[in-house]
Amino acid sequence: MSEAQSPANTATPTATAAVGAPLLEVRDLHARVGGQTVLKGVSLTVRAGEVHAIMGPNGSGKSTLAYVLAGRPGYEIISGSASFEGRDLLSLAPEERARAGLFLGFQYPVEIPGVNNAYLLKAALNAARRERGQSELDAFEFLALVRSKTQLMHIDESFLGRGVNEGFSGGEKKRNEVLQMLVLEPKLALLDETDSGLDIDALKVVANGVNSLRSAARAIVLVTHYQRLLDYIVPDFVHVLARGRIARSGDRTLALELERRGYDWIDGQAAA
Amino acid sequence: MHSPVLDRVLADYRGIAAQLPGDEDSRAERVRAAAHLGELGWPSARDEQWRYTNLRALDRIGAFAPDTTTVPAPALPELPPALPGFERLIYVDGRLVSGRHGSQTADSGSGPKAAEWLPEQRLGWLCDMFATDAARLTIAGEAAIEILFVNSGRASPGAAYPRLQLRCEPGSQVRLIERHLGAAASASLVAMNLTVELAREAVLNHYRLQQYGRDTVFIDTLSAQLGERARYAVRSVAVGAGSARTSARVQLAGRGASLAWGGIAVGRGEQVHDISLKVEHEAPETATEELFRGIADERSRVAFSGHIRIDGRAPGAQTRQSLRGLIEGASAEIDLRPRLEILTDDVRAQHGATTGRLDEDLLFYLLARGIDRPTARSLLKWAFLSDALREIDVPALRAEAERLAAGQLPDVPDLGALA
Repeated sequence: MSEAQSPANTATPTATAAVGAPLLEVRDLHARVGGQTVLKGVSLTVRAGEVHAIMGPNGSGKSTLAYVLAGRPGYEIISGSASFEGRDLLSLAPEERARAGLFLGFQYPVEIPGVNNAYLLKAALNAARRERGQSELDAFEFLALVRSKTQLMHIDESFLGRGVNEGFSGGEKKRNEVLQMLVLEPKLALLDETDSGLDIDALKVVANGVNSLRSAARAIVLVTHYQRLLDYIVPDFVHVLARGRIARSGDRTLALELERRGYDWIDGQAAA
Repeated sequence: MHSPVLDRVLADYRGIAAQLPGDEDSRAERVRAAAHLGELGWPSARDEQWRYTNLRALDRIGAFAPDTTTVPAPALPELPPALPGFERLIYVDGRLVSGRHGSQTADSGSGPKAAEWLPEQRLGWLCDMFATDAARLTIAGEAAIEILFVNSGRASPGAAYPRLQLRCEPGSQVRLIERHLGAAASASLVAMNLTVELAREAVLNHYRLQQYGRDTVFIDTLSAQLGERARYAVRSVAVGAGSARTSARVQLAGRGASLAWGGIAVGRGEQVHDISLKVEHEAPETATEELFRGIADERSRVAFSGHIRIDGRAPGAQTRQSLRGLIEGASAEIDLRPRLEILTDDVRAQHGATTGRLDEDLLFYLLARGIDRPTARSLLKWAFLSDALREIDVPALRAEAERLAAGQLPDVPDLGALA
């Protein structure tokens, strides 16, 4: 078993260095779900190489934003726009968004007994490779790739033959989400509360996996309720979502300030 | 009530009765069968027990008499590879062409008994009227048998009436695979009767795969009786035939007898799968475990009626029933009818029946991984069937069953990697 990285050696100093073209550009996005308007003018720019954290109290619209960007049915766009590498993201079907390089790590990954993990990984990977004009991997190449990632995520190889998330604990499901992300190598990973329900050891494994994907060509957006995750995955930007819009943005010190002062501090400002 | 179809059936019977094989006793049996059917009348869609059967498909059958000539069958369809360890018997158009006949000859009066059919099994009398052959197997000890019922696709219209009467002696351990395959050249009827007797502590694992072509109308009537501590497990996969009706009755007559019934039916196009299962608990500490998974795609119809009756002689009985249906087509139909009739106080009974469409959350999860929509839908249908498929514990057969099930689901590539 490899030693999980400590916060001290995972810090990546990139705070203001990025100048590339935006990977994701969200403009004044309004959206509703179940008849209720949840997003009320969200704007966000994410460039390649950046890690953003979106924080906020329960009900502030964090998960809604992630679902809207990934194209979940039932989430209705009222106005505004979102583009991904210059393409109109909102006009794409969810599977097209995924193949274009957007990955959603689910807060509550579903169980699909009868479809094994290896099958799902291979089908998803080959769909992405076809999209990129690459040839599909054969069984041997695929296994070699997946093996290295399962080791990184401290996942036993036998799990590949089990049904997707079937009988997995909460922590195993989250590690599986990160494993899928590592295999698919998306351009933009949206991780929705990937830290919730994890004990400290699992949190380190998950953070380690996410950090291994950090590169100048990719971006990561972490949706989280707690500052704790950001000790292990150090963000370049922190945004606080309150009442359906981004109430405040800053660097990682904003997360620490939130930890100290609580969400009421921001919420009060957003309401004002 | 008067029925033109029944008139034709009885006229066809009178026309051919003299040519049907058998001794005095078996002639008397045929006459009795015709009288029973005449008395009960032809099933009607107004009858709750037959409401979901495709009775109109039976109206279209041109001739009910079996082909009694000895014209050899045309080339057989490609048969599935033999399963290691299983003795194979092959029936073509209702007649045995290969394999031994068991310990009894075809029409000797001894051996396993013919069944008395319930009103919801009344088409069982049809087979008893017309069948020209019967496999009568009496098994002691261990045995593994595979019986193929093949529709040869012969040119002349005609019906086939396979019959199987199986008795498992005390303490015997039997695995029986029953497969129905082949296509008819025109609308044709296969009406099969199956009677099973399990003596004390006999164990029968019975696997049924039905993959007839769409021109076939399949009527399948099964009656099983279980003695003390006998165990009967049925694993059934129905994907074929234009219209299929199974009318099954299982009597748990001995203390501690148990039934495990697991069934899958997948309909596409205009197919109709209608299954009626009645389980009667007649002795203490008897147990039933019933699992059904049905998918109706396109314009097909899948129906399952699961009636479990626990009478006053069956204290300590246990039943578990899980029926699930999945509707895929806009004009497809699923009808699940669980029914528990309990006449004793000391019973543990669980049941659940749900019908719905594909779970949108599951679908979104697969789409969010870049899997295209048709494949994602097929994968979820596959997943829906998987708990029933995994009960098939003969690996080579399970692979066959999975292939058949997947064949009804488009867009599942590389199936080998799935299971």
